[in-house]
Amino acid sequence: MPGWQTFYRELKDKNFEIVSVAQDTGGAKDASPWIEKANPEYTVLIDEQHLITKLYSMVNVPTAVWISEQGKIVRPNEVAFVDDRFKSYTHMDSGPYLDGIRDWVAKGERSSFVLGEEELRKRLTPVSPDRLMADAEFSLAEYLYHAGHGSEAIPHFKQAQRLAPDNWNYKRQAWLLSDADRDYGTNFTKEVQKLHGKPYYPPRQMPEPANKPN
Amino acid sequence: MVGLIFVCSMATEATSQVRRVVIYDDAATELRTPSPFTHSKDLWVTLAELTRATGFVVKPQGVCRNELCFPLPKQRKADFLGQRGKVTWFNLSEFARLVKQPVAHEEKLATWCFGPRPERQNSYLATLEAPNFTLPDSGGKLHSLSNFRGKKVLLITWASW
Repeated sequence: MPGWQTFYRELKDKNFEIVSVAQDTGGAKDASPWIEKANPEYTVLIDEQHLITKLYSMVNVPTAVWISEQGKIVRPNEVAFVDDRFKSYTHMDSGPYLDGIRDWVAKGERSSFVLGEEELRKRLTPVSPDRLMADAEFSLAEYLYHAGHGSEAIPHFKQAQRLAPDNWNYKRQAWLLSDADRDYGTNFTKEVQKLHGKPYYPPRQMPEPANKPN
Repeated sequence: MVGLIFVCSMATEATSQVRRVVIYDDAATELRTPSPFTHSKDLWVTLAELTRATGFVVKPQGVCRNELCFPLPKQRKADFLGQRGKVTWFNLSEFARLVKQPVAHEEKLATWCFGPRPERQNSYLATLEAPNFTLPDSGGKLHSLSNFRGKKVLLITWASW
């Protein structure tokens, strides 16, 4: 978050905003310590119901979407790190991504990072009935958890994970709310090991900046 | 005053018998009228509860909310509507099947969660417009994506976990 603050300072006078949304069932209680520590100038919101995960079909964090002045998606969600702290794990440089944003902010729709309609339609596809059902199961589980029925929530979290197996948000959030090994027979480290070197984050499909924006 | 006490005690009795919860459009509503359809696994609600929990109203032309109307198949009206005494009941589970809406159900706690209809979830694909949302900041103040119209927005998600 401090990294995004520095980045925001660089671009905020260029008609550019960051809206950063915490995907946390625990809400402000869980997210606030992070926000207070970074004290960012950009907008930080709390999403207890994982609404953004669902609306934008996100499967992990940190993930970002580029939205134009007209409110149109110009790059759908993709992994978005502001620094290289997790590079050993992501195998991705943050630099080219940030340069891409700078290019977009400078050139708008003329930026080579802005996707055309055809490419957008290739990347944005209708959600499957299974995915929709996974979302409903996850919402039910969160409601039960908040209503004090943590153990009744677990089968529904599991059902959401089964129906949307690629969604790490649904896994990691549920595991955090209970004892993952006891209740789910697994944990994050074990699941990452099961990837056997396959990337945890889908690689970004980004062009190299033709010439750096000034 | 006497009347008020009477109404309150009735409500308490009803909720102790059966306390059903409907989550619709991400908002939970508690239903207090015990369903007479005890043999049905489906969720039957009174017409008043239907409107309170979902915003939908049963009209001659169909089940409607604002401009949106879903006609009920004529030959299958009985699958959706049932009369018990003076009260008309509506089968919300059957309606969900009709409009292809996903439903998650926790039987023991009598809780139903209705997800978005597929065309609603996918509606932004036609326009490629970023789906709008309204969420609070850590101080509770609400912000909508649409408030940022006119600026480029980098929408980032993160989590404490």
